[in-house]
Amino acid sequence: MNRILSASKKLGVKSAAVGFTRSRDQMVRFSNNSITVVNSWQTEVSTVYLVSNGKRAACRIEEQDGAEFESVVKELADSMKVTPRGDVDFGLPKGPFTYSDVEGTYDKRLAEIDTGLIDAAENAINSARKEGAQRVSGVVVSGSWEHFVITSAGAEGSSKGTGIEITVRAFATDDATGQGISIATNLSRFDPGAAGATAGTIAKRARGATAGKSGKYSIVLGPAIFADLIDRVADSASAYTVDLGFSFFQDSLGKKVASEKLTLHDNGRLPNGPGSIALDDEGYPTGETHLITKGTLENYLHTSYTAAKYNARLTGSAQFEAGVAGMIPAPRNLIVEPGDQRFENLLDKAQTGLYITNNWYTRFQNYQTGDFSTICRDGVFEIKNGKLGNPVKGLRVSDNMIRILQSIEALSNERHWIRWWEVPTPTLTPYVLVRDVGITASK
Amino acid sequence: MEDKARLAVEQALRSGADYAEARVQRDVGHTLTLKNGTAEPVTSTRKLGIGIRVIVDGSMGFASTNSLESSQIRASAETAVKTAKAAARLISTPTKLAPEKSWEDNWEARMRIDTQQVSIQEKFDVLSSIEKALSPEQVNVSLPSRILLLDDELTEKFYFNSEGSKIRGLVPRISLFLMLTGEEKGKGTIQRMHHEAQSRGWEAVKEWNPPAIAADQARMLGRVLREGVQPPRGEIDLVLGSEVTGIICHESCGHPQEADRILGREGAQAGESYVKRDMLGQRIGSEHVTIIDDPTLPNSYGFYKYDDEGVKARPRTLIKDGIIAELLHNRETAAEFGVSSNAAARSVAYDREPIIRMGNTFMKPEDYALDELLGDIKHGVYMKSFMEWNIDDRRYNQRYVGLEAYIIEDGKIGTPVRNPILEVTTPGLYGSVDAVGKEVEYSAATCGKGDPQQGAPVWTGGPPIRIRRIRLGG
Repeated sequence: MNRILSASKKLGVKSAAVGFTRSRDQMVRFSNNSITVVNSWQTEVSTVYLVSNGKRAACRIEEQDGAEFESVVKELADSMKVTPRGDVDFGLPKGPFTYSDVEGTYDKRLAEIDTGLIDAAENAINSARKEGAQRVSGVVVSGSWEHFVITSAGAEGSSKGTGIEITVRAFATDDATGQGISIATNLSRFDPGAAGATAGTIAKRARGATAGKSGKYSIVLGPAIFADLIDRVADSASAYTVDLGFSFFQDSLGKKVASEKLTLHDNGRLPNGPGSIALDDEGYPTGETHLITKGTLENYLHTSYTAAKYNARLTGSAQFEAGVAGMIPAPRNLIVEPGDQRFENLLDKAQTGLYITNNWYTRFQNYQTGDFSTICRDGVFEIKNGKLGNPVKGLRVSDNMIRILQSIEALSNERHWIRWWEVPTPTLTPYVLVRDVGITASK
Repeated sequence: MEDKARLAVEQALRSGADYAEARVQRDVGHTLTLKNGTAEPVTSTRKLGIGIRVIVDGSMGFASTNSLESSQIRASAETAVKTAKAAARLISTPTKLAPEKSWEDNWEARMRIDTQQVSIQEKFDVLSSIEKALSPEQVNVSLPSRILLLDDELTEKFYFNSEGSKIRGLVPRISLFLMLTGEEKGKGTIQRMHHEAQSRGWEAVKEWNPPAIAADQARMLGRVLREGVQPPRGEIDLVLGSEVTGIICHESCGHPQEADRILGREGAQAGESYVKRDMLGQRIGSEHVTIIDDPTLPNSYGFYKYDDEGVKARPRTLIKDGIIAELLHNRETAAEFGVSSNAAARSVAYDREPIIRMGNTFMKPEDYALDELLGDIKHGVYMKSFMEWNIDDRRYNQRYVGLEAYIIEDGKIGTPVRNPILEVTTPGLYGSVDAVGKEVEYSAATCGKGDPQQGAPVWTGGPPIRIRRIRLGG
């Protein structure tokens, strides 16, 4: 890493951030109550981010042998010479900084490659079947990582972590399905049996669903679907997305963007947080950022580039991204503050409506306005007289993000961690009651 | 690369594998971006590693490493075997592979001008020429957000298996991606994402005429903003443009006819399928509907000559004259169905297992000109392109929201309409196709599937099609 830093200095680059990550992961995939494949990965990745005179360049090197780092740096530096000037001149955060480990994010047992994932899969399958599932699919993955960052601005530090998580999908019939999730940074907090039981219970209850109808409904959103929406909210609260013109929080700082009931923050240093890490990829210490407080948008997430452009303070949110921007501001652990209601109270408040457990395939018609739709997946149930009623199917939420956020009426006191295929950022969220949500159905 | 792959396979066999394959893959890519006239970082990626897949006692294991040290390759091969063995106790149906011919070959997608040799300056010049073409004076619309990306990749793979296949492949890819936001006072904003991509060299960019493509898109946004009216609702006749036909073929024919979904292997993530094993030969659409997936189309974004199980690629007719005719198979599902693989196994990187994917999916053309498709409609809508879309995980309920769309009045294209919504079932849609155009166009896309996610380059396409008496409006 120091070699890369020296090479960039020799080439006259003003600022450089070099990252290195070593990781080991294992994944067991299963379907129809049977394991389909076991994946094992061992990877080392180096990243280089250069900043000079308002110009930037970045490279991700996933290659251990024969990678000529000096030539990569030279190629990047040369490319900066002919790059048109950027819109902001800025430097990387001036170190040194002090970093401390985040509590509860490393479990030695998970750092070993053999962590009993097959037993976890079996446990989840058995639990789901006990609750009424005929077939069970899913994925259980565990891993450990070490991450190092050094910058020309004097920042230097490292962080390490472990994780284990399972997504279980139970099928009571081909179209009566339910999902359960367990996600943790240490084995003692991991509960594949509970995830299987949740999936099986929802699936069994979803049997015999009839076609749902289009209309406006009071909706109770389960943690999985609300986590997906919150992930989109956090995307829109990234200054990078705002800068691209693809945020529904454009020019919204200090404005009411949601109901007073909603408070959301991102915390890169959350104890036991699945996404926690001591420092960001620009070497700046991570921390807590209040995104929405009682409905008001308080902050965007920033890198050094966006902070300079928007005259804002750093949030420790820089994450290397080789695709387009080199470095983007992105959340680590999204936390929705709980409400004071029990789940049953939310149903009672709704009186008539729908309870949606999960969703997938969220797509926007216009990212600036927030017009979107997403497909209900797994169990969807009518709410009648304040109680769960019959299952329905074939429905889609077709509405506007801001309108939904502003129509949140109540949140539960019970919260769940969600991260799965559709929700990349670990999100801790309650159940949520939203009024007058647009629902459509295919014909 | 060959010695590394051979070492992995030999070690896996020594460790007890019944079958072993290894793929050494190198990916090199560059992305240049112009954001509202200013440069985003020039970014590049370099990936090189080996993925080893084994079958032991009917159990499948996959291991990868990006160290090509012999000791590490051996260790990864042993890990693949060891973990597969450990999982064997929780396997209900042992994994088998359909027998396939072994190949030795060295193939490359055609590239006349090596994109890796084109200077950064020349690439930025292309983006700058697009930016210039998007000035409000030229396109008659304000574009407050203009994100222009030029992306190139070079993928080299060496595949080796324990049955004697030994295949080297090289595919260059080039992409132009435009994200435009148009704005008009009192009319709000409108957004468009446009993607051109091929498996070719820099010559593709020279042929595209990027400034003209971008300016056309921008003018369209301006017109829809200024003149767009509310679309009609209710039962109506529709003509769908090539772009919409293509996404439909991909989402509601290609995906549900992936045999791994039908067998439930993607149940927890990408989902299963409304198509069941006994539906081969069943009618799902009108006799005008024939949908093909063909990875061998020259220059196509989804091009390959051999899949990542070493099976030679060929066109697959998924729906023929409205009848479900063929599924997409890898060797594992082919064995389960008692057929041969049709080479649909693809992996996007050294550290991803090959899974069933589409290549280039399109509706087969018939003989109608666009004017003829429109000419027979008294009152309808022509939906030429889309922005928002989605489909359920069984691939049955789908939605496409039009971006460039027009009223059809007495057989002629009329006023633009804003955001017409087609929300329809798969048989409802295919069953209503009564005429198919003759001019095929393709759109580039990145298809998501697998866990971890694998974004695979594909084309989607077809001619314009006419569908009768379909409900418009969500």
